[in-house]
Amino acid sequence: MMTDAPEAAARPAAPPEFSAAAIAAMDDVYRFARSLTRDPSDAEDVVQDTYLRAFRSWHTFQPGTDIRRWLFTIARNVFLRSRERGQREVTLDDEQSAVVDAAQAQEAWVRGGLDPILDRTDLGPAITDALAQLPENFRAVVVLVDLEDQPYEAAAEVLGVPVGTVRSRLFRGRKLLQHSLAQHARDAGLLPTRHSGSPA
Amino acid sequence: MTPDHAKPTTGAAVDCNAALESLFDFLDGELDGSIEERLKAHVQQCKPCFERADFERRFLAVVQTARAEERCPKALRERVLSTLRAEGLGA
Repeated sequence: MMTDAPEAAARPAAPPEFSAAAIAAMDDVYRFARSLTRDPSDAEDVVQDTYLRAFRSWHTFQPGTDIRRWLFTIARNVFLRSRERGQREVTLDDEQSAVVDAAQAQEAWVRGGLDPILDRTDLGPAITDALAQLPENFRAVVVLVDLEDQPYEAAAEVLGVPVGTVRSRLFRGRKLLQHSLAQHARDAGLLPTRHSGSPA
Repeated sequence: MTPDHAKPTTGAAVDCNAALESLFDFLDGELDGSIEERLKAHVQQCKPCFERADFERRFLAVVQTARAEERCPKALRERVLSTLRAEGLGA
């Protein structure tokens, strides 16, 4: 059904291949939106607006390129417009930086604790929780690269940051994830009691 | 992280510091062919680096499983499709 809006009437219909590919990526766009917003309701608004904008500007999509990268970029732009620029821009505060430093300093403990549980098949919910706790800048990179299989260069383009920033955020985000999962495993009784020298 | 000078460069031998510095790039397939091959050779013959790489590889595989944990809600999918149909999808 066409709307009677002039711009809609003048616009050619999106080709089936675009529609199919874009719609098939909705889980991916939703996950990325969740990584940006944390809030499910806000994420749904981002997804809704992303698809509307993508549909209306489908002619700007270059066939043969990665449609998910295109959609992720639109989603991030939608997200940025949805909040007052700078108001909720997340940077690492002192406390978060300390956590990152601690995660790296406790590498041996984290690794020793995580290693025995990495073959478990029931870690999905714990990983989702740990992802949700990551600072925004780290979470978006980890979701794009580790869950959505985007190359560093694509993640950099989507997020509007240099590749070196992607690399740095990815490293630190992964170390935070490992620390969080090791902590979860210990709290859930999946790990042996910590030995001396372990983190408080 | 190790300092930048630990990163492998073209033609240089890869030591443990360089291997660990670029481990995630290696596991993510972000290194170019020459460096990737030399880093791979180092990891295969260095037990500590092999164990570290194996740990990180298994960790990344576990993180990937979170993909299946979060999917677009059905109601949202229907709402998006309804909006797009109103815009001309399938017309």
